[in-house]
Amino acid sequence: MIRSPSNSVLVTLMLAALLTLLAVDVATLQPNRIVAGEGYSLRAIMGLDGLLLSLLPFMFATWLAWFANARRYVVIVVILLVYWVSWPWGMSLFAQAMIEPGQQAARVGIGPGLWVLLFLLLLMVLEVQTRLGMPHLGRWLLWSAILVSVAVPFWSGVLNDLALVREYQGNADDFAAALQYHTLLVGAVVVISLTLAVAMALAMRSHDGLKRSVFAILSVIQTIPSLALFGLLLAPLAWLSSQFPLLADLGVQGIGWAPAALALIGYSLLPMTRNTYVALDSIDPNVTEAARGMGMSRWQVFFHVRLPLALPVIVEGIRITSVQAIGLAAVAALIGAGGLGTFVFQGLGQAAMDLVLLGAVPIIVMAVLVDMALSGLAAVCRRGVANAEP
Amino acid sequence: MSVRRSNMRLILWGLMLTAAVLVIPHLDVLFRLWLPDAREVIYRRDSFVSLLGNHLAIVTAAGLIATLLGVGAGIAVTRHWGKDFLPLVAQLASIGQTFPPVAVLALSVPALGFGTLPTIIALVLYGLLPIVRNTLAGLQGIDDDVMEAARGMGMSSLQRLWQVELPLSSDIILAGIRTSVTINIATAAIGSTIGAKTLGDPLIAGIVNGNGAYVIQGAIVIALLALCVDSLFERIGCALPSYDQGRI
Amino acid sequence: MQNHDTPTIALDGVTKRFGDECAVDDITLAVNHGELCVLVGTSGCGKSTTLRMINRLIEHSDGQIRIEGQQIRSFDPDQLRRRIGYAIQSTGLFPHWSVSRNIGLVPRLLKWPPDRIAARVSELMAMLDLDPETFSDKYPAQLSGGQAQRVGVARALAADPDVLLMDEPFGALDPITRESLQDELLHLQGQLKKTIVFVTHDMDEALKLADRIVVMRAGHIVQQGKPADLLARPADSFVESLLGGRDLGLKHASLVPVAMRMSALNGECLPDDESVLDTDSLRDALSVMLWRDTFRLLVRDVNGNPIGILHWRDAIRGDDA
Repeated sequence: MIRSPSNSVLVTLMLAALLTLLAVDVATLQPNRIVAGEGYSLRAIMGLDGLLLSLLPFMFATWLAWFANARRYVVIVVILLVYWVSWPWGMSLFAQAMIEPGQQAARVGIGPGLWVLLFLLLLMVLEVQTRLGMPHLGRWLLWSAILVSVAVPFWSGVLNDLALVREYQGNADDFAAALQYHTLLVGAVVVISLTLAVAMALAMRSHDGLKRSVFAILSVIQTIPSLALFGLLLAPLAWLSSQFPLLADLGVQGIGWAPAALALIGYSLLPMTRNTYVALDSIDPNVTEAARGMGMSRWQVFFHVRLPLALPVIVEGIRITSVQAIGLAAVAALIGAGGLGTFVFQGLGQAAMDLVLLGAVPIIVMAVLVDMALSGLAAVCRRGVANAEP
Repeated sequence: MSVRRSNMRLILWGLMLTAAVLVIPHLDVLFRLWLPDAREVIYRRDSFVSLLGNHLAIVTAAGLIATLLGVGAGIAVTRHWGKDFLPLVAQLASIGQTFPPVAVLALSVPALGFGTLPTIIALVLYGLLPIVRNTLAGLQGIDDDVMEAARGMGMSSLQRLWQVELPLSSDIILAGIRTSVTINIATAAIGSTIGAKTLGDPLIAGIVNGNGAYVIQGAIVIALLALCVDSLFERIGCALPSYDQGRI
Repeated sequence: MQNHDTPTIALDGVTKRFGDECAVDDITLAVNHGELCVLVGTSGCGKSTTLRMINRLIEHSDGQIRIEGQQIRSFDPDQLRRRIGYAIQSTGLFPHWSVSRNIGLVPRLLKWPPDRIAARVSELMAMLDLDPETFSDKYPAQLSGGQAQRVGVARALAADPDVLLMDEPFGALDPITRESLQDELLHLQGQLKKTIVFVTHDMDEALKLADRIVVMRAGHIVQQGKPADLLARPADSFVESLLGGRDLGLKHASLVPVAMRMSALNGECLPDDESVLDTDSLRDALSVMLWRDTFRLLVRDVNGNPIGILHWRDAIRGDDA
């Protein structure tokens, strides 16, 4: 779907990226962990010749975008990917040049200009992907390539002098544990709230009054800010654990995983129940009527008609819930629930920005990946439904 | 919900919020019963009234800016001259919403530093997304025939926007602003970890010092504020009739 | 001010291309003042595109379109549209505005004073049989299909435009409502003498309403002429099939009033129930004859007085020409 020959969106983004690279520092050099780094512009690093040389492919891509067609879009994507793949290596060269062997604590950081550039690059890839009307498989391959091309230098040691990597290496065990814990907490919350939601949705279908009061309560819970809900659960849970030592032994107390899990389930119930209810309720009665009329039993109708038709909407509910829970679990670190949020708040407390990144970036990546995977699953379910219907 | 019920709700939550802010500082005795050993059982570093005012000011400022920018962007990319940007903006708005607000808030610190202003900027950036998305949904959901008739009758593009498009999508746009503000009230509370003075302060202080009383006090006021603002939006929504006929 | 020699709407070699596709190909058409011109054809033949080029909802690619001798490109599109009435099948009424506000739209755009708008709105509502008491404060969602379409037509007529464009305005209505609105349009047109371009895919509607029918196919005009001419001499098999093939005879009969074929009463005595009105069509008369199993019918005027007799031989004899 290529409308106009000149893609003003890409040209705008590219000009913005060019300006950023010319005017904003792309890298920083820090003598140690806490001290703010000194910024280096691309020109300062590469010299004028190097600057122009490194921007040449980009200017070529801008020209291509101005006179775009399908084949040129492919060339543009390739150029964008080259930039995307090469920045870690460039960063590594910068570190080798700037850090002298004796400086154990010194490290390089990603400068604001590079952050902006990376963001703009992703936007450009997104734009080209839309214009080319890429199929699902192509998109998956493209974004996997983007992810892998960053992951490889991270793990191969090329970026060992990068502050973020240093921070990771300093916390490698904690990081693995936090990641696992975060996943576990979110997974448990999603499973529990899905079970509860299905039960409530089924109950609401037979009791109309129940439906209104349940949704009213759930939407009040959803409105209450996460931090406040954690706080409100603190006193009752503390009281419970002091009254029942068994609970305390299990780890139920005012702070920690118990209030986090409870609050997360509370938040998850509204989207999950709403989607499940809608999924079961919005099925055309003519369809089930026809199924019954053809002699299917109640169970057959449920498994062969209702469930397949409801599944995409339920999966959509799981998607919303999971993405929401990933973010809220991060907040729960404040009340000692652990997980990736711990790094964020520790980092904020110590003013160690790379520790903040070590928490925040994986949280975002996790949310985006889960979102992509589950919307892909919902699409597959929907296609199944589309095929089932003549 | 009927106008009367939403009025009642708004008044109820409003009164409870006012009462909480004014009464909590005088509940020494009550909290002392719960925590007899604590050195102090009422958060007194700042008054709750000033924290509430600060919190509201941050959320309102962010909300107003995000509404102006978000609705503006939604309008811009649905005009003839801006439609090239529509696919990217629409995708960005939906992908961006999967970013957890707390992560966005945290990322604003390396970029902008600590304090109130970075908090407001992070709130604006995040708050934009639901507003943009709903503005797009509202404007694109208007029946093509209505727009065709508006054009055919000779309404100028500005007249179509003000008299047809915005009124017909106002309820969806309002829902977007409501989502945005709800999230921002919660995120602003977390903003006290990056140095903004908000109602999150007593909560964070309570968690850090192990003082349950502070936590409860902060939590109650924040929760009441959120419910109060939410019912305000409910009330505004009641004033806008919905026009299902005009929408596909 | 109108010069009756120049046609009110003139299309000259008009072409519309969407990309490589040619939706309307080199059309030349003139619609005279007070004429009701119906564009008819199967869907996708370019009739709607042609209509929408006249008020510049679609810009034509080639050729010239003139209104009262002036190129439409010389007007600002919004100004042009405000002086051309426009009614569409789905009505496109603004769901957030009351009926009276919807009708008053174009006068308001033209900045008429409020009392003049109010007067005009009630005049139009009366004209279209919409009781102002009942309807002015209703919203479109509260109207039936027929009522909504009346409001749509009233809105199109509001600023008293000379030219009216109607795009299948009655296409979504049930047959009875459609027929009554068609009758009403004919009645209105008798009084107002607007220049109307009307698009439909329904040949019966075209035959009933048109002063002139323009048959379109694949972006071309296949034939144009008075309804009777078309029926008498369809240009090709396509026009013939549009006219209904074997129904052609009956369709033709439906255009001829009984008064044209009746003969004087010679003191014959006919049963009362075997009668037709002089304004009924021959088609109606033939139907009554078939039903009553008779060869003769009594003809009455509107007041019920017997004024003549219709013999089946006269009814089915060739054209009057």
